[in-house]
Amino acid sequence: MRGSQAPRHAARSAGLGLAAALAVTATGCGVAVGDDSVDLDYWLWDANQLLPYQQCVDAFEEENPDVRVRISQYGFDDYWMKLTAGFVAGTAPDVFTDHLSRYPEYVQRDLLLDLDSLDATAAVDADEFQEGLADLWVGQDGGWYGMPKDFDTVAVFYNETMLSEAGLTPEDLQDLDWNPQDGGSFEEVVARLTVDSQGHRGDEEEFDPDDVVTYGLASQGSGGTSGQTMWSWTAGSTGWRFTDTDVWGQEYNFDDPRLHESLDWLFGFVDKGYLASYEEVGGDANAQQQLGSGQAAMTTDGSWMINSYTRLDGVDVGIAGLPSGPTGHPVSMYNGLADSISADTDHPQEAARLVAFLGSETCQNIVGDAAVVLPARPASTDRAVEAFAERGIDVSPFTDLVEEQHTMFYPVTDQFGAIDALMTPAMDEIYIGGRDAETLADLNERVNAMLE
Amino acid sequence: MSAVENPAPARPRLGRPRTAGRRDDTRLALMFILPAAIGLVVFYFWPLVRGIWLSFTSWDILTPARFVGLANYQEMIGDPVFWNAVRVTLIYVVINIGVQTVVALLLAVLMQRLSRSILLRSLVLTPFLVSNVVAALVFLWILDFQLGIGNQFLDSLGVGRVGFFTTEAWVIPTIALVNVWRHMGYTALLLFAGLQAIPSNLYEAARVDGASELRQFFTITVPLLRPILGLVLIISVIGSFQVFDTVAVTTNGGPVDSSRVLQLYIYDNAFGQFNFGYAAALSVALLVILLVVTVLQYRVTRAGQTDLN
Amino acid sequence: MTSAATALDPTEARPASPPPAPRRRPPPPGRILAWALMVILLIITLFPFFWMLRTALSSNSALYANTISLMPADANLGGFQRVFGLQETEQAIAEGGSGASIDFWRYLINTVLMATGITLCQVFFSAMAAYAFSRLHWRGRDFVFGLFLISLMVPVIFTLLPNFLLVRELGLIDTLLGIMLPSMFMTPFAIFFLRQFFMNVPLEVEEAAMIDGAGRIRVFFTLIIPMTAGPVATVSILTYITAWNDYLWPLMVSYTDDSRVLTVALGNFTEQSPQTGPDWAGLMAATLVAALPMLLLFLAFARRIVSSIGFSGIK
Repeated sequence: MRGSQAPRHAARSAGLGLAAALAVTATGCGVAVGDDSVDLDYWLWDANQLLPYQQCVDAFEEENPDVRVRISQYGFDDYWMKLTAGFVAGTAPDVFTDHLSRYPEYVQRDLLLDLDSLDATAAVDADEFQEGLADLWVGQDGGWYGMPKDFDTVAVFYNETMLSEAGLTPEDLQDLDWNPQDGGSFEEVVARLTVDSQGHRGDEEEFDPDDVVTYGLASQGSGGTSGQTMWSWTAGSTGWRFTDTDVWGQEYNFDDPRLHESLDWLFGFVDKGYLASYEEVGGDANAQQQLGSGQAAMTTDGSWMINSYTRLDGVDVGIAGLPSGPTGHPVSMYNGLADSISADTDHPQEAARLVAFLGSETCQNIVGDAAVVLPARPASTDRAVEAFAERGIDVSPFTDLVEEQHTMFYPVTDQFGAIDALMTPAMDEIYIGGRDAETLADLNERVNAMLE
Repeated sequence: MSAVENPAPARPRLGRPRTAGRRDDTRLALMFILPAAIGLVVFYFWPLVRGIWLSFTSWDILTPARFVGLANYQEMIGDPVFWNAVRVTLIYVVINIGVQTVVALLLAVLMQRLSRSILLRSLVLTPFLVSNVVAALVFLWILDFQLGIGNQFLDSLGVGRVGFFTTEAWVIPTIALVNVWRHMGYTALLLFAGLQAIPSNLYEAARVDGASELRQFFTITVPLLRPILGLVLIISVIGSFQVFDTVAVTTNGGPVDSSRVLQLYIYDNAFGQFNFGYAAALSVALLVILLVVTVLQYRVTRAGQTDLN
Repeated sequence: MTSAATALDPTEARPASPPPAPRRRPPPPGRILAWALMVILLIITLFPFFWMLRTALSSNSALYANTISLMPADANLGGFQRVFGLQETEQAIAEGGSGASIDFWRYLINTVLMATGITLCQVFFSAMAAYAFSRLHWRGRDFVFGLFLISLMVPVIFTLLPNFLLVRELGLIDTLLGIMLPSMFMTPFAIFFLRQFFMNVPLEVEEAAMIDGAGRIRVFFTLIIPMTAGPVATVSILTYITAWNDYLWPLMVSYTDDSRVLTVALGNFTEQSPQTGPDWAGLMAATLVAALPMLLLFLAFARRIVSSIGFSGIK
């Protein structure tokens, strides 16, 4: 069947004109209906954002009476599966929320439209967004493939009660530092927050690291290739970066001793009793669960988790900044989602109008006011900061990092799926204790070979 | 005791009904299998042929496939993750099928002998009403190292906690047993249907002869259940080799690669890395393994024949 | 001589003649042991369901802090309310749900239509094929049967995309028929299973009917199917449950409420984005609610079969 060769075009040339037309109608995928209006499909995965984005779409439809938008939401794993099938069969949505780890694969295969080539989106200036966010979505060919919608960074979430029980105050969590040699003041705090079954703390003589009740630091698993919320901030603040260039690196730096030292230090917490072992939490460790159950006192996690932590029953969670590293300041991974337009769409101009609107101040303010994530436009970010503040949550630890540019990008390269399949088991092995971090140097050669 | 004692008179197979003479039912048979054959060709064989073709190509799903000859197979031979996946899958199948068959047989016999209660039969089937994914999630929760009620129970017994989903030694047995839980009632029901087909007068005769329950089990039940048992084994082994959901939900292949079963590796290659050509070659390998195992089982259990006629 | 239809009568194993129940005797130790085994197996079977119920009645935010108690943590009906789409979006999100709108009864009807369509067609067509493979004589029979057996082994990964493309080219995306199509014609399992039981039907019963002038087709409908009512019902129920629980394929084909089935809708209760946990209470409530119709169906079906035993004249 032609389908196996060029599936997306099979139906169009298959001589099944009627059937194909029916199919397109059935999916409602950007087909003009009786009146002159145009239907667009928009997909996203985070159910928490469904409400604000529905409001955005309502506002958009008001401004654009000739366009109707249908939002669909699918869970993260289902989302990518259905999207892939959609690309194969030509039933992909016109506009969808995109992720940095996925879009290079799509760009490489000409599945996305260049936003610069469409009127409505070309009119948007990349500088209107938080610094550097739009650059993440510029492909190697110079095309622009995603309109930034939000950003995320990493900070420390801690249990306020446990902190005061340890004789510490929120001020003690300001300006902490760490280094791979003695762990710095951050390690002292982690040790202080760790409690064994006899009530001895991690910094006391009698402490038994094999009988811990509350770990100072919650585990996020090994963190895999990107270590986004688990270890990226450690290596990042030694000056290490994933790749040779900020975006579209040609070489990974998994052979860098600074990375190895950082991993050794962090995962060394397991033996010291400050961090749960792999056996206890597994590869898909849920830090929210550990904080919620009192198994851990503190964790590093992303800004999209703010509501998940602050809504925990019976646990008062505070937020503090990441500790500074050997470079003298903290470094957080800086990542963001964007909206992309499928090359399959029958209505690129209308889709572009939608995307431009989703990235506009009007929509971003709606998202900001909903206080779920941090929107991509600085003014809207401020609205979100205020909205969070009204609920008593200070999110400045997340936003300060961006203002001070203490960030590094999520690794955007080709072949991320294959690299991840190789790196994740290795990272797990390091966490378990069965592998030396130094051996990542061997893997780095294989990873870089994939990029050639 | 065996088919010979079946009161139905044994007959030569070729002696077809006297009235009809020896007939050839080809045309009728074609009519009878036509709908099923359409389903077979369209929804199984065409994709199979296409899949085998793709195993000789490099295809990323989204752009045209490129013929690469045996390259995928060469890569597979030298791929340690593949061989590990074969090993892990085999261990899984042995544990899963071994335990499941014994438990299901026990359950089926108990259901037949103890109670005619339909409620009981329904309760036994309840785990099958829950999807694989939910079954996996429930056990992930129950067996959580710290918070799971199962581990807290073990801890209170003084056994100590077990990293069911997080240690290399436990992860495959745990996943195998979770799937035993979900499928044991289902399998028992199939076997139960087979038990019911055994003529009751055989048991009556055995009783008259003074045979014990145990003896009846081994001389009547087991031999006469053989075709159904063989069938159930073949089908559950084929299903067991394709384990995927449970692993994807609970461990996603970890710790390290200790639960990276074949289907997970295949799926990850196809949809995680857009490496469909290689995934197709891996699937062909799985198919070959299944063919060999099934032919062997078919021979050993003689599942194709019945002793009742 | 017996038939599978009478087979659901468990008293057959004992010399006692039906219909009176077996006489009461002090239970032998073997029977006590057997019952004990049965009870253990039942506990293993049912405990996870208790845990699901306990979780379904708990509130998500309290679950992590209350893990030992057998009673629900911070008991409430929020999980069930979300399943039936009765909760306001904002409240649902606040309680850890997805906030996606849920039109439960519509999905239930879709699911019933889908599972019923699949079961009727699949079991009927499979039974026809099974008859051809067990009772008819034709050249190439074993070979063709082997082909059907092989189809059991075709990996999902091979069939998913081609079938999706086919359904799309037929214009059946986002229709219930599109969801049903691939499994309507047969499953190798049903053919294999029914064939095994058809083979057990004594030849002389069939011959007797044919002497009376019945054709093969009539024999199939009036003899074979009724005599194997038990196994046919078993396959039907298992087919129904399998169709009911199918997730990946309906997820691919369904785009709107027109064809959304329960499993796909309930996907909203699993993890929505990486690192956030699932909506445990909602997920467990959804699982229980979705399983309940199946359980009722099974109970009803099983009664039917038993009551039909009296009418089957073959003994």
